[in-house]
Amino acid sequence: MFDVLDMGASGLVAQRTRMDVISANIANINTTRNSKGELSPYRRKFVTLSSGQQADPARAGVHIDGIKEDQSEFLKKYDPGNPDADPTTGYVLQPNIDMSIEYVNALEASRAYEANVTMMETTKSMINSSLRLIA
Amino acid sequence: MINGVQNNLSLGNIAGGGASPSKTTDAGSAGGSSFADMLKNSIGEVSKLQQDASQAVSDLASGKTEDVDGVMTAMNKADLAFKTLLAIRGKLMDAYDEIKQISV
Amino acid sequence: MFIENLLNQGSGPALSELLKFTSQRHKLLAENIVNVDTPGYKQKDLSLEKFQQLMQDRIEQRNNSAPGTVGFDDIQGKIENPTSGILFHDGNNRSMETLMSDQAKNALMHNMVIELLRKQFASMEMALKERVS
Repeated sequence: MFDVLDMGASGLVAQRTRMDVISANIANINTTRNSKGELSPYRRKFVTLSSGQQADPARAGVHIDGIKEDQSEFLKKYDPGNPDADPTTGYVLQPNIDMSIEYVNALEASRAYEANVTMMETTKSMINSSLRLIA
Repeated sequence: MINGVQNNLSLGNIAGGGASPSKTTDAGSAGGSSFADMLKNSIGEVSKLQQDASQAVSDLASGKTEDVDGVMTAMNKADLAFKTLLAIRGKLMDAYDEIKQISV
Repeated sequence: MFIENLLNQGSGPALSELLKFTSQRHKLLAENIVNVDTPGYKQKDLSLEKFQQLMQDRIEQRNNSAPGTVGFDDIQGKIENPTSGILFHDGNNRSMETLMSDQAKNALMHNMVIELLRKQFASMEMALKERVS
């Protein structure tokens, strides 16, 4: 019964990491330059989940397989006056992030997080009532 | 021992049903039921209640019934019946000890 | 054998077996909940109906035989992958509501069985102590 708590913890970590990545996407929705100041729009990131715990994939649980970058096209916005615009076409390359998609993913991640918390509470109450057999 | 005690125990009169105070000298013979018979029947009753409760719990465990309240009631009844019998036994043992102390 | 038969009377062994089942099922349901977003994950479950059927047959057998001959130790549920109501192409039935309500029912049954077992042990102890409570 105690390894169910490990399972739940792995789920919490995975969902929270996912939430971090989604928040980074939302924060960088208009970022056209990278940290060095070069003209390089922010690429949307996403996580891939797979079953098995991080330390020991044979045990039940979930872990983040990797954080990958979405290779779809950048969005183009026509803004010739912008210093980041392409001199010949006048288009600014914007990150390939859609607010509504990110928002829905954030909702799903927080719902899954809540479910994991409820599951761990239930496990604790079952273990506690088993202890009452002796008392 | 029990037949002699019957004369002094009002419980025997109340629960014995047929016994009346006028039959003090004729304890345990034909006519009403004696306290001894009542006790024997009570043991059988408690045993039946416990078996019913045990059967109800088995039914709940195997999914034959969904009536949780019925099972809990049956268990409580069996429990209380057993406690009653145990209390009666305790009182009888105490009474016997007291009578043993009477010096002749 | 005498003391063992005394301790295994009534519904004690059936309830212990049920406890083992609810613990096992809880682990599977927990794994399903944790993997609700994992692509390609197949949900696992222990069928409650099949287990109850096995229990019923074994209880009938036990009622009709001498005390101490029929036990419950070898009753095992089989882990299966339920395929009803799958809405996603990767085989993962992401129904959070079903998962949470199954888990709640399982936990309630577990706690109820523990209370029944406690009651049973308490009344045996009371008989031994020869005093009420």
